Amino acid sequence: MLEARNIQYLVQGRAIVNKVSLQLNPGELTAIVGPNGAGKSSLLKVLAGDYKAQAGEIIYNGKAIENYRPKDLAKIRAVMPQHSQLTFPFKVKEVVELGLLSLGMAGGEQLVKEVMIETQTWAFRDRLYGALSGGEKQRVQLARVLVQVWAGSDQPKFLLLDEPTSSMDIAHQHQVLHIASQLKRKDIAVLAVLHDLNMAAAYADQVILLKEGKVYQQGAVAEVMASQHLEHVFEHPILVRNGYDGMPHFIQSLPVHHQSHTFKIA
Amino acid sequence: MISKLAISNKVSHQRLVLGAMAFLLLVLAVLSLSMGAFPIPLSKVMQVIFGEWLGFDGVSLQEKNVLLQIRLPRLLLAMLVGGALGIAGAALQGLFRNPLVEPGLIGVSSGSALFAVIFIVFGSSLTFLSALGKFGLVGFAFIGGLMNTFLVYRLSSQAGKTDISLLILAGVALNALAGALIGLSIFYADDAALRNFTFWSLGDVGGANWEKVMLMLGFSFLPVGLIIGQHRALNALAIGESEAFHMGVDVQRTKLLILVGSALVVGTAVALTGTIGFVGLVVPHLLRILFGADHRLVIPGSFLAGAILLTLADLLARTMVAPAEMPIGIITAILGAPFFIWLLMNVKKIRT
Repeated sequence: MLEARNIQYLVQGRAIVNKVSLQLNPGELTAIVGPNGAGKSSLLKVLAGDYKAQAGEIIYNGKAIENYRPKDLAKIRAVMPQHSQLTFPFKVKEVVELGLLSLGMAGGEQLVKEVMIETQTWAFRDRLYGALSGGEKQRVQLARVLVQVWAGSDQPKFLLLDEPTSSMDIAHQHQVLHIASQLKRKDIAVLAVLHDLNMAAAYADQVILLKEGKVYQQGAVAEVMASQHLEHVFEHPILVRNGYDGMPHFIQSLPVHHQSHTFKIA
Repeated sequence: MISKLAISNKVSHQRLVLGAMAFLLLVLAVLSLSMGAFPIPLSKVMQVIFGEWLGFDGVSLQEKNVLLQIRLPRLLLAMLVGGALGIAGAALQGLFRNPLVEPGLIGVSSGSALFAVIFIVFGSSLTFLSALGKFGLVGFAFIGGLMNTFLVYRLSSQAGKTDISLLILAGVALNALAGALIGLSIFYADDAALRNFTFWSLGDVGGANWEKVMLMLGFSFLPVGLIIGQHRALNALAIGESEAFHMGVDVQRTKLLILVGSALVVGTAVALTGTIGFVGLVVPHLLRILFGADHRLVIPGSFLAGAILLTLADLLARTMVAPAEMPIGIITAILGAPFFIWLLMNVKKIRT
């Protein structure tokens, strides 16, 4: 279990992440949702160990994050960054194989192949990473971080994804979140920063609504993804239709010129 | 099964490339021992090297002395210095994630050059410098290189973390300062000192002897080993610093190891042979273009390729204008630059 208690991350005295507490349970997919500048990525980086929180504690499987060596932390948590660029001509497969770094090399080859087939990157394994499209690069990066947590182990693992679907077409967005939700069976807790509210509503077990560094709402999709919460956080008219007959929630943002009109009705 | 085969294929392919380079280096080394202002036939070269088993029949004392006291140490020094420059260039390019980096950027070459010019110009008038004796210039230049690198490192580090972009800027700034101070020293130099420094700065392995070879070997053995051991961390760093940390790399430790290791080997090399440009910049590129970016190959490969390049350059330096000698730094650039241009023009054809 990953537990964060009252974490605070300040830049030049300004709280980017302000007293956030959360809990990630293995077998759950948690989505972080919020407007630009709400501190979503910063929160993810603090949880990952990139930034050090000035206050509060972060506890991975009962042990504080400061007490992990980078190598041991990498064995239980993987992070997919928002953007990754490579300066040197690496091949796709070489990039994915980097995920084996923390595992030691034994048996890695089969693992790499399995993950690459799952993420539909096996077909271009011998191409140069730099020659891929934005969406393909993201899938390769996803494959790399999946390799890191794919193999079973005796302790729960954590996968942190920062906008994993931002450059993908609609089918691949679903495929990536499908893979992420499949991971729940592997004793893995998944945390994803998501922009698309419908994706978050369709795949998440728990949603954290972030505004100005603070948690505004936190809980199950049906509670958090309500029209009044979303409108408050995004300061924009948003319509939510509850899911029925196994259909997920349907969330629609309304055009700006409807704004006054909608608010009048509301 | 097929993929298992593929990865072992890749590793064995890398071993094959490294093996071929080592073989090429060996052939070049034997040729280099035989050729020169005083040619010695190959058979006699073999006889001297394997003297214990083949016997010294027919080898004159002069030939033996030329080989063992002049050519062999010179060859070994060229190989070690070339290797050091190549491997430091590869590691620093990987660390900085920038293909334009060369070992001089961390300030080691300019620091050495500054201290060298101070020694050459003021050495005779400052008693503490002349008291340093035979290895005064070497030792003083070595200290200068390490001091400057240390300054660059301190300027770019805060709270135990080193900012790579700050490090590049600090390197540029201190290089400029060292350049100005070198200019100032040259202003006060007499003609002899000026000529001395000019040739020092062009690079030269001519003054090689066994003591220098041992110094170079002693100072580079451990750092080279440590740098080779960082190949996985360097591969991870190619994606990014935070990504490397996510994959379990202790990034700060890798930075420190590579900076200190590179400063040591390059500092020793520059102190012993002067500034030899181009090797550290071009050799890693050559390997990446030909064999891909995997540091498992690029790092040790850069050592071998650097050694090959400098051995070849020294061979040409000794033979082209025999019995005179060309400074080796000129040769590396004259030889390397057009080849590199050709390579750049053909990158696409080679890599696809």
